[in-house]
Amino acid sequence: MDKLGQEWVSAAVDGESDANTLAELAADKSCHDQWRNYHLIGDTLRNELPATIDLDLSARIAMAIDDEPAIVAPQVQSTTQADESKSKSKVVPLFKQFGQYAIAASVALVAVVGVQNYNQTDAGVNTAPLPVLTTRPLVGSASPVSFQTEPSLQQQEYSNEQVADQRRRVNAYIQDHMFQQRLNPGLEISDNSALPKVSGH
Amino acid sequence: MRFILLFAVLLSHVAYAQEELSAKAWLDNMSQALRDKQFKYSLVQLQADHIRPLIYLHGLVDGQGVAFLEHLNGPPKNAVRVGDTVTFIEHDQPAYSVHTNRIPGVFPAAFAGNIDELAKGYQFVLGGRSRIAGRPGQMIRIIPQEDDRYSYQVWLDMDSFLPLRYDMLSQQRQLIEQILAIELVVLKSPPELLIEAEKQEWPPVVQQEKRHDGQNWQFKWLPEGFKVMTRDHHKLISTGNAVEYIALSDGIANISVYVARAGSTPLPSELMTRNGLSMVSERVGNAEVVAVGRVPAVTLTKLAKSLTLK
Repeated sequence: MDKLGQEWVSAAVDGESDANTLAELAADKSCHDQWRNYHLIGDTLRNELPATIDLDLSARIAMAIDDEPAIVAPQVQSTTQADESKSKSKVVPLFKQFGQYAIAASVALVAVVGVQNYNQTDAGVNTAPLPVLTTRPLVGSASPVSFQTEPSLQQQEYSNEQVADQRRRVNAYIQDHMFQQRLNPGLEISDNSALPKVSGH
Repeated sequence: MRFILLFAVLLSHVAYAQEELSAKAWLDNMSQALRDKQFKYSLVQLQADHIRPLIYLHGLVDGQGVAFLEHLNGPPKNAVRVGDTVTFIEHDQPAYSVHTNRIPGVFPAAFAGNIDELAKGYQFVLGGRSRIAGRPGQMIRIIPQEDDRYSYQVWLDMDSFLPLRYDMLSQQRQLIEQILAIELVVLKSPPELLIEAEKQEWPPVVQQEKRHDGQNWQFKWLPEGFKVMTRDHHKLISTGNAVEYIALSDGIANISVYVARAGSTPLPSELMTRNGLSMVSERVGNAEVVAVGRVPAVTLTKLAKSLTLK
């Protein structure tokens, strides 16, 4: 390594060389050590040395990466499977399309005001109607509900009343479903030996 | 059959280590434990955007099962079960009692019921082990025979067989609901609260109207393991619309099917809540068939289409 070369390096370290010189310097591998040494000297003079000096960090990192075991990560579902499930269920896509239409969170939260007498003619036989009940399930209420209808374009044409009517009816069905879960002892798979009652056909 | 099975379970206990238990035997033990053991749970229920902390107590007082469920957040909402009467105590209405043998909403009814019934619609697969609520847990997958409903995973305490965690997963294996034990204490004697509850005078069971048999609707197709539990004719509570009603259940998933006169506006053909409840409607002539339940909407659609009047 000639003196001139050392001066180049020195100048480059001090930020006094142009782009061409830098490019040449970068190409000359023998100068790299000098470059590092000059920087080290500069740092020492300026009292900027770190507590431990890592002389060749990059080489060590490269080595460490080589030693690293192959990363074992769960395989993402194969594409065929993904396609299959996409076609089989609309659960997720539906969620994403919810923007279209949103029913208020009230769906399952609406308290039921009273339980109808299902059969008025039997009023004499039956005892008092059920007390006020809510259909809120004891644990968990329905979260905000959204839905889309088909065809969606047609949906836009519904008037406000029609939309309100839809919601009211949707709510009524969901409420009743939840209500049945509470009221209907037939919905149990019974405790032990006794099999659940199955209505005759 | 039951005795053979019981014998087999006992034998496997004696002869082999716990590791040898089949997934089905684990679930049988769970069912037994939920009915016979006395315990106190601190639970968290997770749904799409809800987290609800709960306390669940179960004990045996004077030979009958007594249970108590309390919501820890929000307005007071409790339920007490003494024998086969459940009383709901909620802030916005007078307490009332219903004749049923479980408090709805904690673990599925089938978990404390006959696992053989569940086996008709689901396969049980032994999974791995992990530590939950400070206890070692054995995971059991409950996988539907067909891809027509959601699957479940339950982690059972390896000492007591009580469930420590319960997951409901969509077909894409996304979590719909999770019930996670934070603390489980197995007790030797019933908690004081339950002894008190058993002595307490609860409101009488509300008398349900006698349900009239509905028309003879038949399903040409039912998902494997589903049974018709009830069929009747009643009026929807909020709108007063008369409906033919059919309740279906496979032990975990409950489906309600309604047939009613179609309204002036068609109902959305498919709808889904974020806690996994789906609803579909199908117009048949001048009637609408509506199916509601925590199963994929495609299954409900198939069900609704298969309904015929015999």
